[in-house]
Amino acid sequence: MTISVHENIRTGRNGFSRRRFLHTVSASAMAAGTLSFRDVMSLKAEELRKENRSMILLWMAGGPSQFETFDPKPDHPNGANTKVISTSVPGIQIAEAWEDIAKVMGDITVLRSLTNKEGNHRRASYQMHTGYVPSGSVKHPSLASNIAKEIGSEELDLPSVVTIGRGQEAGAGFLGVDYEPFVVGNPGGLPDNVAVRTENRRYSRRMGLLDKLEQDFAKRGGEIAVDNHRRIYQKSSKMVLSSEVKAFDLNEESSSLRKEYGDNQFGKGCLLARRLVEQGVSFVEVRSNGWDTHADNFEAIPRLASQVGPATAALISDLKQRGMLENTLVVWMGEFGRTPRVNGRGGRDHYPRVFNGLMAGGGVKGGQVIGASTKDGVSVDDEPITVADVFQSVCHSLNVDPESENISPLGRPMKIVDGGKVIPGLFS
Amino acid sequence: MPYIWPLKRINSVPVVLSAMLCLGGIVASPASAADRDTSVNLKSEASVALEVDRLIDSVLKKAHVEPAPLTNDEDFLRRISFDLAGKPPTPNQITLFGLDPTPNKRNQSIDKLVGSKAYAENWAGYWRDVIYSRATDDRSRRFQTSLNDWLTEKLNANAGWDEITKELLTATGDVRENGATALMMAHMGDAAEIASETSRIFMGIQIQCANCHDHPTDVWKRQDFHTLAAFFPRVRVRPKRNETPPSFEVVSLNFQPRQNNVFDAERFFRLADRNRDDKITKAEADQNERLKNVFGRILSVADTDKDGALTLKELKDAPRPQNRDRGRTEYYMPDLNDPSSEGTLIQPEFFVNDAAPRSGLRDVERRETLSEYIISKNNEWFAKAYVNRIWTEMLGEGFYAPVDDIGPLRSAQYEDVLNLLAAAFAENNYDMAWLFRTIARTRAYQREIRPRDTSGSTPAFASAIPTRLRSDQIFNSLMTVSGIDSNALQSRLGERGQGAYGIRRDPKMLFSATFGFDPSTPQEDITGDIPQSLFMMNSDQIRNLTQASYGTPLSRILRENAINQDALDEVYLLTLSRYPSKSEREICEKYITDVGSRNEAFEDLLWSLINSAEFITKR
Repeated sequence: MTISVHENIRTGRNGFSRRRFLHTVSASAMAAGTLSFRDVMSLKAEELRKENRSMILLWMAGGPSQFETFDPKPDHPNGANTKVISTSVPGIQIAEAWEDIAKVMGDITVLRSLTNKEGNHRRASYQMHTGYVPSGSVKHPSLASNIAKEIGSEELDLPSVVTIGRGQEAGAGFLGVDYEPFVVGNPGGLPDNVAVRTENRRYSRRMGLLDKLEQDFAKRGGEIAVDNHRRIYQKSSKMVLSSEVKAFDLNEESSSLRKEYGDNQFGKGCLLARRLVEQGVSFVEVRSNGWDTHADNFEAIPRLASQVGPATAALISDLKQRGMLENTLVVWMGEFGRTPRVNGRGGRDHYPRVFNGLMAGGGVKGGQVIGASTKDGVSVDDEPITVADVFQSVCHSLNVDPESENISPLGRPMKIVDGGKVIPGLFS
Repeated sequence: MPYIWPLKRINSVPVVLSAMLCLGGIVASPASAADRDTSVNLKSEASVALEVDRLIDSVLKKAHVEPAPLTNDEDFLRRISFDLAGKPPTPNQITLFGLDPTPNKRNQSIDKLVGSKAYAENWAGYWRDVIYSRATDDRSRRFQTSLNDWLTEKLNANAGWDEITKELLTATGDVRENGATALMMAHMGDAAEIASETSRIFMGIQIQCANCHDHPTDVWKRQDFHTLAAFFPRVRVRPKRNETPPSFEVVSLNFQPRQNNVFDAERFFRLADRNRDDKITKAEADQNERLKNVFGRILSVADTDKDGALTLKELKDAPRPQNRDRGRTEYYMPDLNDPSSEGTLIQPEFFVNDAAPRSGLRDVERRETLSEYIISKNNEWFAKAYVNRIWTEMLGEGFYAPVDDIGPLRSAQYEDVLNLLAAAFAENNYDMAWLFRTIARTRAYQREIRPRDTSGSTPAFASAIPTRLRSDQIFNSLMTVSGIDSNALQSRLGERGQGAYGIRRDPKMLFSATFGFDPSTPQEDITGDIPQSLFMMNSDQIRNLTQASYGTPLSRILRENAINQDALDEVYLLTLSRYPSKSEREICEKYITDVGSRNEAFEDLLWSLINSAEFITKR
């Protein structure tokens, strides 16, 4: 056994993908008969399981104002008198209303120089989820689906991509039903219709009958429909019959921890995200809506922060306490920022030119700020960070090859991330 | 090319519209004569359908492809019932249709379905989903039923697609009362969003890609998008807060409101400072209509000494709010490098042929002018976009894909067929019922489905393509199984059906939260998801529907059909609108024997058929 073979193995959550392994290694070692699949498996199993990487995206739908979150401008009129508070890291100040985030700043990198060109919700959200601007002809897979495809465990009974909260910007695109996100509208208990209503024996019997009755239609011309359908039913069945669905039930957590996360949609969503990641889910998105503050920006944000702040902080410290933070990348962002000038309705409008975000865990260095906006917050002052840079960094953290290509339906190879570079200084 | 639509950007020669377009009937440009039989009567469904098939068959023949035969009566009836009426045929209808010896029975059933009430409801639902799937303002979604009702009425009256388009583009008024306001409401009056949707929905042109940059793969320039948006800067959607239940209205802002920069701070201050202590307090602000809702916000930016009250100086020094967009009655193209600047003033112009209205038009006049440009018979894209959509929806594959991305630089398959149908559609004054009857008559539409051709070399339309049913259609199928008519269900819900904002809670709309999708999505992207399968597998609704206990449809079938074979036929007719095949019959009979309990076995059978791919697929 050679080291080079080991390096070729792409790690997955609970092991590695047999298919990919065979694909990359078969030409050399396997063909030469120098090692068997099982050899590598047993040797590497423990080590690979430890990888267990995953990502939690905290999505602020609507576009959060950088001025009222993590890039306040107390000394400039554009800051609109939003007060600042100090954090646990000397020198880093953030907007008031984010006291809980201030306490865990030691684990966070603040990105203050994100920059992009899309100022339309739909287009920008699509881009921030897929890395590509929307195009009429191709439906790009989301980063989440790409990650699931690369590192998702095939043994997992739960879907490898879960979205918590309503709304969705991009799904699996041309990667197909296997990587489509499972949407949990209302976190807390079991999702709708997950509980099987007949005894398991009868349920399996029915599934067997269904499978047989599908054959005629498949032969007649419905094979694509039947094939997609069958795969979804298999996934659904695997999930409802699995003990892993208990992950959805937050009642298994102590009431003090539930309180820490917050008894609200977003707080429950974050706690659920941690439970799912613990179970082996590769990518969880937790959505917070209402950040499109064209009016009443200054009332809306403290209200939103009162849920998002404590939940985000609780998530980071909970992951850390469980030793999961190192392998779980947490990203907080929205589709763009908001205008430096306050409009007539006490709001701020869409502004993609400079905005901010947070990253923690997954090897990200804590307690630092990367990039800066100008004093008036109008543009990037230092180290512009593009969407591609963010995606490159996510891939780096999760050990996913950003150059890995998918073939689009039109036969065009498309990289997971096109261009960009890992954000310098982000990782320790 | 059969005939050339005038398009100045492709061809800078001045266009001679009337000469090239023959409005009196048959298009007779020399180029078209070679391809198309000039004896086609564009008014006649039969004649056009025949020509469509002749054109398609000649392509298939050249490719040495034998088209699939016409599908059997069962499949035909199910197909047109879903396409035209949005629901499956009842077992009774299937039996009667099979027994009917009339040679012309297919055409008769098409004509009957196109005029039906269910037809109006079905296509109203389709367009409701087209418009609201892309709504940029979530608050608008609760008014979907208004659009649905309005469209149903229009379709029942067989209004032309031009008339419907015009009303959607020019509507004003309460969004609850006037469903035609939907497009304005769905985008809260945002000129740029309305423009991109107008172009996409009514012309199939994705002009919004030119919002920020010149269209990378099309002829349109950035300016073209903004000249289209310039037809809409005077649209406003305003909340009607004082109404119960609250609603919105689409209004026109034709004049710049009084300049808000000449805000008279002193006068305002004197009025609000009731006790003349040179401070406006919260209590005083609460008594002032203009101030009570905004006082907190003004304080947050103006109260420099933080005493919770406003002095005249503080009020005067407060950062002047920017109220740019709200008062604007003209459209400005944003400066991408400086989004906070005013941008460039843009005058309305129709990018397809550069027609421009005279200046100084009021809001509704502007929108009327645009709608006239769009529905004009000189604008090829209007008819083509509609024909491409309906053909795609009915046959599972269109001339252009995606369905709403057509345009001069896109290439179409069977372009001559599209051109023929579009010309005939225009010739029949955009009569939608006419187009449905024509397409449904074609052999291309009535073919059998076939096993997939993996070579990928077979031209389209050689056989039918199975497609996923829309949410409304699946809902109606379940209703058919249950034996309950969805209208009856609505009235049975009674008071409970009344949702927030006085909008009736349509059970169909609740169902579509799980099964709905944007009808503009390409078929291959519609794959279904886990929540849908979980609903079908495990929900109480399906569980109740599939039980054999007293009072259910299954109990009736089992009671009325003592012989298992007959009962089996009934279950198949009810769910899949066909009789079971020989092998299916064998599988089922063996299953019934193995399970032992007749009721239990039939429950499992019904459950399996409702959970089958075929149940949610048009074949």
